[in-house]
Amino acid sequence: MALPLTGPRILTLIPAHNEAGNLPAVVGEIREHRPDLDIVVVDDGSTDGSAEILEQLGVRWLRWPQRRGVGCAVRAGLRYGARLGFDVVVRLDADGQHDAEDIQRLLERLQEGDADAVIGSRYAHAYAGAQPLKRVLAAVVSAVARRRITDPTSGLWALGPRAATLLASHHPRGYPEPELHLFLSRNGLKVVEVPVQSRERLSGRSSLTLLRMITAAARVLLAVVIVPLRERVEP
Amino acid sequence: MTSRIQIVAIAGSIIFLLFVLELVRRRRLAEEYSALWIVGALVLLGASIRRDMIDRTAAWLGIYYGPAVLLLGGIVVVSAVLLWMSVILSQQQTQIDQLIEDTAILSAQLRDARRGLDRADRLDRREPVAYAGAGPTRPRA
Repeated sequence: MALPLTGPRILTLIPAHNEAGNLPAVVGEIREHRPDLDIVVVDDGSTDGSAEILEQLGVRWLRWPQRRGVGCAVRAGLRYGARLGFDVVVRLDADGQHDAEDIQRLLERLQEGDADAVIGSRYAHAYAGAQPLKRVLAAVVSAVARRRITDPTSGLWALGPRAATLLASHHPRGYPEPELHLFLSRNGLKVVEVPVQSRERLSGRSSLTLLRMITAAARVLLAVVIVPLRERVEP
Repeated sequence: MTSRIQIVAIAGSIIFLLFVLELVRRRRLAEEYSALWIVGALVLLGASIRRDMIDRTAAWLGIYYGPAVLLLGGIVVVSAVLLWMSVILSQQQTQIDQLIEDTAILSAQLRDARRGLDRADRLDRREPVAYAGAGPTRPRA
């Protein structure tokens, strides 16, 4: 069944931690390309004055005082969207690396109706351009999920009703993108990739430190073993 | 003949058991978390009263030095408690996550509702409304 591309049922979800410098541009770009979409920013314990900026931007927002990770932020945003009756959610990063123009392409692919989720892949057209570690990760996740994944760490997703409902209660914590592929695959949801271009972050520095990367890698290793063995969940 | 160390061990086990029960009585330790400690104290008490149990267990396990069984038992019990605590910690983290998210979502819904009321008031007064995209949920098409 084709999904509507406009109207209040599509929510744009932006998890953010200390992205006060980028949020106005990111929100402005989304409004420029899709002024009809509602936007919710989930402020994951920012300490850079993001709360004041969110109020000025006039978007919906959630926040909590301590950092809990992007996975928790996305899950909260999905729960909020589900409560308000949105059934399609577009998730993108707050650092400005995604082009808001690509939202339409993801939604169009979702509208074809054969996929539960659509990912914007930075390497779908130029897989060789991915960093060696990301290629290894993509190979491992592809093998376990039993479909080709070129960009397992992409933060640009369009989630259809089934995926949005399921993930509102079962979205992985931490840095969740690779685990998300495994989880959706384990539960029989179809995920497809759409090639997109990515940019450098607009300003500021990534919050991904070496320690966090090691922790995330350990989580992925555990997820590769555990997630396929878990029981399937019902939305 | 009862040796001094046996008396000390029995007394220590009883004191430990009473201490655990006292914590439960004062509601400082929840009943469901006290079970393993009570069982541990009873095992210690049993081993103190019947010392031959330690030697028999050691012989059965092929351990030459009997008291090493006590050490092994202690490590097993402490490891079990730690694992159990990690399970409880994980459950509580899930519950806390849910509460934090619920609070944030409810705050946002309250804010949305207030904005919606404010927007409606301003529309009534024919004032410009800048906040267009985040009013109360519009009805489904």
